[in-house]
Amino acid sequence: MKLTKARALILIAFSVPVAIELRTVAGFFNVELPLIAVAVIEFLFLALLFVLYGLYGEGSESAA
Amino acid sequence: MATASGGSEFVDKFPDEAAIVKASFLIAFVSLGIGAFFGLIQALHRTNVLRVIDSADYYTVLTGHGVLLAIVFTIFFLCGVFHWAVARSLDRPAESALFSWAWVGLMTTGTVLATVAILGGFVPNLGMSADVLFTFYAPLQAHPIFYIGLAMFIVGTWLAGADWFLSYRAWRKNHEDERIPLQTFMVLTTMIMWYVSTLGVAVSVVFFLIPWSLGLIESVNPLLTRTLFWYFGHPIVYFWLMPAYLLWYTVLPKLAGGRLFSDPLARVVFLLFLLLSTPVGIHHQYLDPGIAEGFKFIAMTNTMFLLLPSLLTAFTVVASVEHGARQRGGEGYLRWLGALPWRDPAFTGMALAGAMFAAGGFSGMINAGMNINYLIHNTLWVPGHFHLTVGTAVALTMMAGSYWLVPQVTGTKLYSRPIGLLQVIMWFVGMVFMSNAMHRAGLAGIPRRTAEPQYQNFEFLTPIGSIFELRVQIALGGTLLFLSVVLFLFNILLTSLGEESDRPVDSYLPEPLSGPEGSPRVLDNLAMWTGIAAVLVVLAYTLPLAGIIQNGGGLFGGGLPVPATVSAGFDLVATTVTSAFNTLWGVVA
Repeated sequence: MKLTKARALILIAFSVPVAIELRTVAGFFNVELPLIAVAVIEFLFLALLFVLYGLYGEGSESAA
Repeated sequence: MATASGGSEFVDKFPDEAAIVKASFLIAFVSLGIGAFFGLIQALHRTNVLRVIDSADYYTVLTGHGVLLAIVFTIFFLCGVFHWAVARSLDRPAESALFSWAWVGLMTTGTVLATVAILGGFVPNLGMSADVLFTFYAPLQAHPIFYIGLAMFIVGTWLAGADWFLSYRAWRKNHEDERIPLQTFMVLTTMIMWYVSTLGVAVSVVFFLIPWSLGLIESVNPLLTRTLFWYFGHPIVYFWLMPAYLLWYTVLPKLAGGRLFSDPLARVVFLLFLLLSTPVGIHHQYLDPGIAEGFKFIAMTNTMFLLLPSLLTAFTVVASVEHGARQRGGEGYLRWLGALPWRDPAFTGMALAGAMFAAGGFSGMINAGMNINYLIHNTLWVPGHFHLTVGTAVALTMMAGSYWLVPQVTGTKLYSRPIGLLQVIMWFVGMVFMSNAMHRAGLAGIPRRTAEPQYQNFEFLTPIGSIFELRVQIALGGTLLFLSVVLFLFNILLTSLGEESDRPVDSYLPEPLSGPEGSPRVLDNLAMWTGIAAVLVVLAYTLPLAGIIQNGGGLFGGGLPVPATVSAGFDLVATTVTSAFNTLWGVVA
C-alpha cells in the first residue's frame, strides 16, 4: 500500500492522542515517563514516517 | 433513499432552495468566525498565556462564544442542510419561497438582536448586556432584547420545520403508498423532537424571563427556569447532532465509495432519538436541590437508554464505510482502512469527527452517571466533553460536509482540497490537545466558567504531568482550532467566489444496501411516535415540575402562592400517577 501524503497526515494526527496519553498508559505499568521521553518518542515516530514516505511514498522510485 | 438529483446539479434544479441554503450557510459561517475568535480569546485568557481583555469581560466573551457557536452556527447550518435534504430527497421545491425567506429573516433578526445584547456587555455605558452564558436561566438576567431575539430565533426554527412539513404533505398527495424518503424522514423526526423540546424554553422565555427582564414581574422561580432550560438543553444536543447523523448516514457512505448499510436501522435510530432525547434533561441537574433523587435516577436511566441509538449508529456507519472501502479494493480485518479516500477533506473530516464522537460518548457516560458525575460536575471536564461532541462530532462534520455541499449550492468547484484536508486534520489535532487537557484539568478539580482559575495558597494537582502542561495544551489546542476555522472560511469564501462549473461535485447518492421495503411501515407513522414521545415527557416531567412549583415558592418564586386551581390540578395529577403506578406495580407483583 502506497504511503500517500493524506495517509501520512492521518497517521501523524492519530499519533498525537497516543503521545499525549502515553504517560498514562505507562503509569498503568508503574513506569514514570518524563515529558521529554514522550517528545523524543513522538519525534522518532515522525522521523520514521518521514523516512518511510521517502522510501515508499508518492513519487518515490519504490512506489513507482 | 431517493436519488433524485443524480442527473443535474442542485443549484440548477432548485435555484430558490439553493439561495436559501446559501443564506443559511452564510450566517452560520459568519457566526462560526466570530465565535471561534471569542474561543481563542478565552483559551489564551484562562490559561494565562495572553490576556487582551479584562477578566470582567470574560463572561461577555464566553456568552458570545456559546450562543454564536452552539445556537446560531449549528442551527443555521442545520436549516441549510435540512432545506437541501428535503428538496433533494422529495425531488420538489418548497411550497413557497417567500415563506422560506420569512423564517430565514426571522431567525436572522433574532440572531442580530441577541448578538447586539451580548456585545453590549463590552460597553458599560450602554446599559445593555447579556452575560448570562449559553445556559441562560435565572438568576442571571439579560437585557430583554436578548430574550426577545432568542424567542424570534426559536419561532423561526418552528416555521422552518413547518416549511419542510408542508413540502412533505404536498409530496404525500402524489405518493400515497411510498415510504418517506430517508433524508426527509430524518428531517421530520428531528423537527418533531425539536417542537416537543423547545416548548420548555419557549415557556421559560415568554412567560418568565422576558416579563422578569422587563420588570413586569418581580421574581422568577430559578429552579423552574433551570429545569425548563434543561428540558430543552439536552434535546438541543441531538438537534445539533441530527444533521451530522444525516450526513454520516446518507453522504459519508457514498464518499467512502459504498452505500448505506441499512435504511431501516437509520429510521429506528432517528425514532429512538425522538422518543428518548427529551425525558432526560434532569441529568444536567444532579446537584440541584429541590429535585428528588428518585427523579434524577429515572433521568439517569433514560439517559443510558440513549446509548442504544448511538451504538446502532456506530455499527451502521462503520459497516457502510467498510463496505465502501472493500468496493475500492480494501481487504483484511483492518487493512481496508487504508483503501478509504483520505485525500477527500469531506470524507476525512467526517470520519475524524465520528472517531472523536466515540471519545465524547465515553466521557458523556461519566457525566450521565449520578454518582461519578459528582467528581466532575461543573469542572473543566464538562467543556472538554462537549467540545468533543458539539465541538467536533457536529462542527467538524458540518465543516467537512460543507466541502461537498457548498459546491452543490454555488455551482463552483471547491477551491482547494489540500487546504481542506489540512484544515480538518488541524481541527482534529487541536481538539485532541484542548479537549484532552480539559478532561484532565476537570479531574484535577479545575472549575469551568472561570476567567482566572488560579487561586492563592492553593494548587491543583494532577496524577501525571503538571497543571502547567495542561494549560499549554489548552492554549495550543485553542490556537490550532482558530487557525483551522480561518483556513475553512478562507477555502469556502474562495470556493463561493470561483467560476461556475458544469459538474462541481458528484452529488449522486446511491441506494442503501438494505432498503426500507422490508421494514415495518409503522416506522413511518409520525403521529404515533409523536404521541409516544409526548407521553414519555409527561411521565418524566409532571411530578418533578409540580414539586418544583409547589416547594420552590410558586410559579414566580419569591414565596408567591400557587393559585388554588393550579395547586389542585397538580394534586390531581400526582394522585392519579401514584395510583396508576401502584396498580401497575400490583399487577407486576
